[in-house]
Amino acid sequence: MMGLTIAIPKGRLGNKAIEILKAAGIGSAIEEDSRKLVFKSENRCIEFILLKNSDVITYVENGIADIGISGKDMIMESSGDFYELYKMNIGRCKMSVAGFKDKKAFKDDTILKVATKYPETARRFFNSRGQKIKIIKLNGSIELAPILGLSDVIVDIVETGNTLKANDLEVFEDMYDISAVIISNKISYKFKRKEIKEIIELIRKEDSND
Amino acid sequence: MNFLKIEDEMKYFQRMFILRKEIENFLYKEGYMNIEPSIFEEYDEFTSVNSRIDRKTTVKILESNSDILILSPDITTGIINKFMPRWDYDLMLKIFYYGKTYKHNGTGIRENREMGVEIIGDKSPNIDQDTLMTAERIINRYSENYLFEIGNSKFLKGIMTACSFNKEDYDNILDLLYLKNNQELSDYLSELKYRDPMSTLLNILDLEGTYEEIIGKLEGLYLNDMMKDGLEELKIIDEHMKNITDKIIYDLSMVSELSYYDGIIFRGYIQGSNTEIIKGGRYDSFTEQFGVKIPAIGFTVELDELLKAVYKEG
Repeated sequence: MMGLTIAIPKGRLGNKAIEILKAAGIGSAIEEDSRKLVFKSENRCIEFILLKNSDVITYVENGIADIGISGKDMIMESSGDFYELYKMNIGRCKMSVAGFKDKKAFKDDTILKVATKYPETARRFFNSRGQKIKIIKLNGSIELAPILGLSDVIVDIVETGNTLKANDLEVFEDMYDISAVIISNKISYKFKRKEIKEIIELIRKEDSND
Repeated sequence: MNFLKIEDEMKYFQRMFILRKEIENFLYKEGYMNIEPSIFEEYDEFTSVNSRIDRKTTVKILESNSDILILSPDITTGIINKFMPRWDYDLMLKIFYYGKTYKHNGTGIRENREMGVEIIGDKSPNIDQDTLMTAERIINRYSENYLFEIGNSKFLKGIMTACSFNKEDYDNILDLLYLKNNQELSDYLSELKYRDPMSTLLNILDLEGTYEEIIGKLEGLYLNDMMKDGLEELKIIDEHMKNITDKIIYDLSMVSELSYYDGIIFRGYIQGSNTEIIKGGRYDSFTEQFGVKIPAIGFTVELDELLKAVYKEG
């Protein structure tokens, strides 16, 4: 059996993923409380690497990891070349357009100012609508942008909507469904197809139990 | 390629020189004739012959009479464009070339060295296998850990033609196949009006593995003549390559970025390398736009990638 390297994001999504991996009997080598970033499972020849969620794609694309778990939001934003093999049930949320209540700013004749962490995805979405926009790229606290007058609307991940509500914002429109996706390096998939499919099957069983 | 030290650069180029000579000698002995492809192509002519070339990535040059030229992004297109207008129906050519292709990749111009093989006008039935075997002998010379992935575009084309999707659906479905995204594919298809061939399309991402495995999985699924034709061609290849079955995987969902492939498509990989080393296929319908359909098949070897893979292994 050929060894597999699996990239897992750190943080909330990663913790849920590790839970599933453990339940599936693959992830017992991972110690969540450790500061280590690489874990080896001896019996299955699997190596786990813990990465920042936005780096999972980079590691998979370059073949350092064979497969990885990444959010669909990251995948849509990247222009990478890899397979999207399995959409998981964890990390479910929506990518939405939001703004001030009662101040719907969708007008065709003006340039809409959009604050977001996801410039590519936002550009593609508004392009398909024929809405002219100006992107303001932010790295966090996106909700602040309309409040302080930096943008008309925001494009962001919405899970419960509580953060929006607390800041007097509301969802104008849901753009895409987001969840965690198992991605695979294309060349790894050719050489290790059986191993990869087996792992995904084990994960799928636990993942759909939720 | 950028090198810090001149020594390293010299070493690289000597290795490249040897690699290139070895493959050239092999092909010459196999009866292929050498040609030197042109670096320049006429922009309008080139993009009208091959509509799949991404115009944005071409490297343009303005001539003194203000004609636009491009640095060749695809050598096969250039060769076909040059030869087909003067083609004699009975002509048969086995050629090889060393050439460079140029593309803008967002950050700059990417120069790519490749060795190409084209067999044009040969109507004998064994050409698919022979070409594959030639490709296999090249890769096999440099690595034992190689793999060929073989598909046949007739299979997917058979489904897509029978479904007669509109352009938007067609492109979206192809994109999902390219990503092997099974769940989104079935979500997408469930939104469309059901047609019989969809039974196979829904399962096409599973149609990979050995030839026997695929035939087993095809039971009960929709098949038409074009698809059967494609399968038959793969069967012949499989019978021919029995001695290296562990080095071959078949994949009926193979989507090529070059739409001119029409029949078998193949790619060769070396373990440890992160890109294709060999890619090729049959492209009869590409010659057809010049009037007569001339059988044509070919492949390219990515020399930089091959060299990297060879020296990574030891």
